[in-house]
Amino acid sequence: MKITVKLIGPLIYEGGFSEKTLTLPRPMTAGELSAHVKIDRKRPTIITRNGRAVANSDTLADGDRVVISHIYSGG
Amino acid sequence: MKGWTGYILRINLTNKTWKKEAFTEEFAEKWVGGRGFAAKILFDELKPGIDPLGPENKLVVALGPISGIPAPNTGKAVVAAKSPLTGFYGDGNLGTHVSSQLRKAGYDAMIVEGVADRPTLLYIEDDKVEFQSAEEVWGKGTYATNDWIYAKYPKSTGVLNIGPAGENKVLYAIIRSMEGRAGGRPGIGAVMGSKMLKAIVVKGTKQIPQERADEMRQLGIDGLKKARELDQKSGWSKQSTNAVLAWCNEVNGLPVQNMRKTSHAEASKVDGERLNDARVTTYGCPNCTMHCGITIEDKEGHESELDYENIGMLGPNINVFDLKQVGSLNYLCDDYGLDTISAGSVLGFYADAIERGAVEGDFKFGDAEKGKALLGQIARREGKAGNILADGTLRAARAFGKNSIDYAMQVKGLEVAAYNCKSIPGQALANGVAVIGGHHREAWIITFELKFSKRESYGPEKAAKVIELQRIRGGLFELLVACRFPWVEVGYELTNYPKFFNACTGLNWTLDDFWKAADRGYALIKLHYLREFPNATRKDDYPPAVWFDKANADAEGPQKGVVLEYDKYDSLLQHYYDQRGYDKRGIPTKELLAKLGLEQEAAETEKYARLS
Ligand code: SF4
Repeated sequence: MKITVKLIGPLIYEGGFSEKTLTLPRPMTAGELSAHVKIDRKRPTIITRNGRAVANSDTLADGDRVVISHIYSGG
Repeated sequence: MKGWTGYILRINLTNKTWKKEAFTEEFAEKWVGGRGFAAKILFDELKPGIDPLGPENKLVVALGPISGIPAPNTGKAVVAAKSPLTGFYGDGNLGTHVSSQLRKAGYDAMIVEGVADRPTLLYIEDDKVEFQSAEEVWGKGTYATNDWIYAKYPKSTGVLNIGPAGENKVLYAIIRSMEGRAGGRPGIGAVMGSKMLKAIVVKGTKQIPQERADEMRQLGIDGLKKARELDQKSGWSKQSTNAVLAWCNEVNGLPVQNMRKTSHAEASKVDGERLNDARVTTYGCPNCTMHCGITIEDKEGHESELDYENIGMLGPNINVFDLKQVGSLNYLCDDYGLDTISAGSVLGFYADAIERGAVEGDFKFGDAEKGKALLGQIARREGKAGNILADGTLRAARAFGKNSIDYAMQVKGLEVAAYNCKSIPGQALANGVAVIGGHHREAWIITFELKFSKRESYGPEKAAKVIELQRIRGGLFELLVACRFPWVEVGYELTNYPKFFNACTGLNWTLDDFWKAADRGYALIKLHYLREFPNATRKDDYPPAVWFDKANADAEGPQKGVVLEYDKYDSLLQHYYDQRGYDKRGIPTKELLAKLGLEQEAAETEKYARLS
């Protein structure tokens, strides 16, 4: 299953990449994917899929574009 | 009275006089400081209808009970006046050593009245005020003015100054301080310019009064350490506020092409990663451990300090995706003393108006060089276009006609910041009801909308969230006065702030006390508005029409075809009014005003307008 992951802001330095397409060995939830790319579980994050927010428990589908960001309250 | 110095410095530029005026404990506890002081002083002292650029207007610089005391990010000052851009109370905050120096000089606020007979630098040192000539730097940019000031005074002195935009009364001229700090979006720099006041320099040598100074010292040290740790752990200041640009692009909230579009394939060229890669150095405000001002070398080789708002508005909003060119546009705004949000919005609006045939001109989206030339024309009010654009998008739209007002991206005359809200109803509301006009400072709820509500919801939970954040961001932080970023960006606990306040003042406030003070401040600013605009309606709290226009919807992507809906927005607005206790026009009711202790202000307002 192929998923494109984009990390935002400081997560880039935590995960060690900005954007990449991963081939996952098995279906994963959004939360599992976040842990898989080494984002600290305690970090408050917002995960969006194809432009819409998803819950950590939502299962991802082949071809999804997933964006993981720290939660910001803006500038 | 501890925590406050108990004095306001009143300076008259016409007569070259000054006096030290005491205020009461009751005044201090009711209005707290910062925005609260400024709104109350200006309400009492300005008659509605005065010319904001005339001698009757007053410039207020106001601090709060924790201003200037070492603690997380207390190096800010509020600047306020009747706004020439919006026509009612306007304010802003900026990082400056004025926050500590004015308090050490013995004042919690300063009121500047009248007009000087020549360009003036006000020098304040404790009980002394000097009216020095600033003729040498009149017409010069803020960088040269800063250098001129720093050649005479150490960098630790508090400095506020304006550039040519303020001198030429551009309606969105700001006030600058230090390297890169700016505030007073609704034209407070133009008010300073109208008074022939080029700069204010402040030095104080006294102790800032505190009830439990030892406790405050320890709280401050612990707080600064904690904020630093949180920042380092989260990595926020690697990209600072510009981390949000890539995210806005992903979730279709980026301002592109005067907010016609919500994302762009080239957005990554100006995102936080590119900004961090291009970093030359980092600047910050006093008493801050999270320095968020990232500088880059611009196209001409200047050091230009960037953040999300100025990149969003001077980059994608005018289709410029070259970070160096964005840096150049930003550098010019800073040097001229122009607000970067409004300047980016004005350029975007102008390109849009030309493209849609509302006006003739040769500026096109993406033309950074022409944009730079236009900024100079605006700052100097040069030529027909420069002069019209210097008045902001609302007035420019009135001049251009042909329904261009629909895509003038402003609310109550103030240009909205770098969030494209046509498919984000709660943030559209936050702009609509921002108390000084379209602004993100008061409330920013986009992640809440996406994660904890439904993006397409117009439900009461969004109105409640806007109010909650207005109380924190536009209330607590603007009253105390402190930068909101330790809380907003790295999760420094809000409960620390009453502790600081109580150690300084000896009072025993909780956050609930601050919410009431915040509501009082908001209600008073609404009365400012009503006094100036007695025929105010709820339509004044609507965001720009183009966000409701199907023809402006995204043509592709997850938000394809989505725009705001009038009926639903109106019902969201009603939720906000109901929860606030405002009437159908969005004005606080007499019952609410009485609850907030504003009976006298209500009676004063009724001389000019109706209250329900
Ligand atoms: S976080 Fe940024 S805006 Fe806030 S005090 Fe620090 S440098 Fe100033």
